[in-house]
Amino acid sequence: MREVRIGMGRAAGGIGLALLAMMLAPAAALAAESAAVTSPRVSATLLSSRDAVAPGERVQLALVQKIAPGWHTYWQNPGDSGEATRIEWELPDGYRAGPIAWPAPKALPVEPLVNYGFEGTVLLPVEIAVPETAKPGERLSLKAKATWLVCEKICIPEEGVFALDLPVAAQPLADAAAEARISAARAFLPQEAGFRASLSAAGEALTLALPGLPADAGKVHFFPVPDTLIDHAAPQPMTRRSEGATLQLARSSAFKIADSEIAGVVTFDQNGTQRALALSVAVDPALVGASASVSASPAVPRLPAPIEGADLTLWSALAFAFLGGLILNLMPCVLPVLFIKALGFAQLAQASRLEAREQGLLFLAGVVATFLLLAGLVIGLGALGSSVGWGFQLQSPPLVIALAVVMTLIGFNLLGAFEIGTSAAGIGSGLASRGGRLGAFMTGALAVVVATPCTAPFMGAAIGFAVTQPPALGLSVFAALALGFATPVVALSFSPGLLALLPRPGRWMLVMKQAFAFPMFATAIWLIWVASVQAGPSGVLAALVAVLAAGFVVWLLGISRGTGRLRPVPTLLAVLAMLGAGWFVAQSAVPGAGNEARAQDAQAWTPQRVAALQAKGTPVFVNFTAAWCITCLANERVALSRQEVKDAFAKLGIVYLKADWTNRDAMIAQALAEHGRAGVPLYLFYPGRSAAQAEILPQLLTPDSLIAAAERAAGREAKTAAFR
Amino acid sequence: MTASLTRQSFIAGLALSALAALPAVAQGAPKIGTPAPAFQAVDADGKPRSLAEFKGRTVILEWTNHDCPYVRKHYGSSTMQTLQKDMAREGIVWLSVISSPVGEQGHVDGAKAKELTASRDAAPTAVLLDPDSKVARAYGATTTPHMYIVDGQGRLAYMGAIDDKPSAGAASLAGAKSYIRQAVAEMKAGKPVSEASTRAYGCAVKYAPLS
Repeated sequence: MREVRIGMGRAAGGIGLALLAMMLAPAAALAAESAAVTSPRVSATLLSSRDAVAPGERVQLALVQKIAPGWHTYWQNPGDSGEATRIEWELPDGYRAGPIAWPAPKALPVEPLVNYGFEGTVLLPVEIAVPETAKPGERLSLKAKATWLVCEKICIPEEGVFALDLPVAAQPLADAAAEARISAARAFLPQEAGFRASLSAAGEALTLALPGLPADAGKVHFFPVPDTLIDHAAPQPMTRRSEGATLQLARSSAFKIADSEIAGVVTFDQNGTQRALALSVAVDPALVGASASVSASPAVPRLPAPIEGADLTLWSALAFAFLGGLILNLMPCVLPVLFIKALGFAQLAQASRLEAREQGLLFLAGVVATFLLLAGLVIGLGALGSSVGWGFQLQSPPLVIALAVVMTLIGFNLLGAFEIGTSAAGIGSGLASRGGRLGAFMTGALAVVVATPCTAPFMGAAIGFAVTQPPALGLSVFAALALGFATPVVALSFSPGLLALLPRPGRWMLVMKQAFAFPMFATAIWLIWVASVQAGPSGVLAALVAVLAAGFVVWLLGISRGTGRLRPVPTLLAVLAMLGAGWFVAQSAVPGAGNEARAQDAQAWTPQRVAALQAKGTPVFVNFTAAWCITCLANERVALSRQEVKDAFAKLGIVYLKADWTNRDAMIAQALAEHGRAGVPLYLFYPGRSAAQAEILPQLLTPDSLIAAAERAAGREAKTAAFR
Repeated sequence: MTASLTRQSFIAGLALSALAALPAVAQGAPKIGTPAPAFQAVDADGKPRSLAEFKGRTVILEWTNHDCPYVRKHYGSSTMQTLQKDMAREGIVWLSVISSPVGEQGHVDGAKAKELTASRDAAPTAVLLDPDSKVARAYGATTTPHMYIVDGQGRLAYMGAIDDKPSAGAASLAGAKSYIRQAVAEMKAGKPVSEASTRAYGCAVKYAPLS
């Protein structure tokens, strides 16, 4: 009987091959196909049979999964393990999506278990009903969020959001190639059986009667849609009857039938061709509602008395986040801002301790509010399917340029080049002066924004943890991060003892203040460099023009100060300069323009490249990095670009791939998420063995740890080869 | 004629015995209310453990593989650890069983098993190493996680999924019904377990080949 199952595998494999052949034939341009979502295991797209849809018609779409050899995705009943592919639709009002029209599955034995699924390339067809009320000239913008599990022996959950934007026209416009592919797939769907199957109990076993099964059907296999019906791995012995045949099925250990009518598919071989019939199975009423627990007298055990000793678990994540926040204070891009705040307290302490406390609390409020706002955006956008991660705000060139302008202005302000009136209590004014309440709040906000590129070593895991939690838990981790970050400044503002440690105000303060202008300028230079990487030379031009315009505006405001009222001409000029510079930045600083400039010693990362190299037996190192990530750059300096590391890589035959997240990239965001991270850096070592999982390195690299990991990646490969 | 008949009946007999034997292999799963399969396995400290040593106590078996996304969902969110600690407080024995053979995902040695317990802040009574998948075959474990509850009399009281949300996504934890908590609460109240057998979900248990 074992033959039946193996034969089935071959049968379904034949179907798969035929499908593949049909799909490869029409290789015309596929206009109506979404962008691909790709991993080393699956490349998926959403395919439309229409380039333009007509009111009232049913449009044929299909989710296409190209599955790497050795891997499989799952049928609606996945069998002994696994999970079916699911699609959630976002459609305009009036449009409706049907269910997935499931192709006949293949029984995939993973001794001693059996799964039901698909190998090779599979099309999952879905019909979309266009409302009669749709008007030519409108557009059908649809989104499909699909999730699937892909397994070899190991399993990886994957997901993708597929978007299509099709015009509505009076007459439909077919995409011939896509239509042919979807029609071919539909032609292979299980056909209506034309007879009613029935299921009854035969002692412990079940009997499935298939009265209309052709007499010459061979290699018959039944796939039930409910997953609690049969033991998927058990053989299905067949007995021929005067009408059709019966299959004997073993009950599932979780046997339970909720309905008197269930669906299933029967596949068989007839005259050398593979056939699949969609069955409607009438269930013997005696079986409905029955469950697997056949024990006459259920166990009624006594439980012993409770043992004392409670524990808490979220706390460790919160503690790490707090610690990470504290360390963030020492980062080069944050320290100047905080030092200025401390200077402010030194001045304030002379005047009013109360005011110092107030400012400390306002700073805290600014930090917490900004952290939660950013975290809310990351979590919220993530929930909507957008691929953003921590640090995403620095992926926008205009925002990077705005930060560079702010840094420059703060620098000149520190040097005393200009004073800003408290009325314009914007970002700069409250930094060191005592008046700005809004300023104290904004200092907190600014500190958070400039801190994000410096993801401190302890924060990576905590943030990765936070974004995978329910929103409330995730936000509380970010809140702990914010509290840790704000603690030094708040402590300073509250503790008279600490404030007393600061020297008396005097000339040293002026010198320090001026000295700290230079870290600010350095930060501005770094940000402009980031803009240059993101948007190329025009990004640099935009940044410098923005700095110029900002300086001009500040100067205009300066000359109109002291008169007690705003002068119309300078104000108008200032507004014009700001608008003009803003427009120029938006026009010039287009992300992606600088990508060629960043091609370096490492090759660019793609999941396919990793898979291809692994298949060739080559171990792979992947560096997930970004120009705005200080930790990443530090690691590149300290470890990755060291000669001994390069030598070790060369000796061990390791290929170095770089995934650059300086600009937004859904593929990289997905790869980060797969490894439990929400941001860079992430370092992965893939052994040179097909589909082997990567080792995740710590966020702080040393040459020694890197070389040791490289040897593990190369050595593990050798060991596995020995096992074969 | 006679000879050929004999050969036919011999082949038929072979086929029948094969038929009888196959379901016995495939249907490894024990039955609810019947004695749970006895087993012996070494724990992470190399100490031999058996089901018999916990006689009189409720025992929970958890099939696990630390690299399986479904297992990671339950450990990454601390759901599994919380359940383990709550069960420990009830005086229940918790045995995490690792059945992956050498070279397969999830295989660990004792040191690694202890490190996993420490780093994940897990609280099993013991982690059992089952690299030849013998315990898994005895219980018919199909997935990680796959859960079994054995009552104080050594009878199987529950087998199946850990909860009713068969998904690898962390979002599925919100509002999930824990079959373990439900079964334990019913057992404590002296009631029969209402859902004693459910469909386990997760990654396939990586079985060692039968040798």
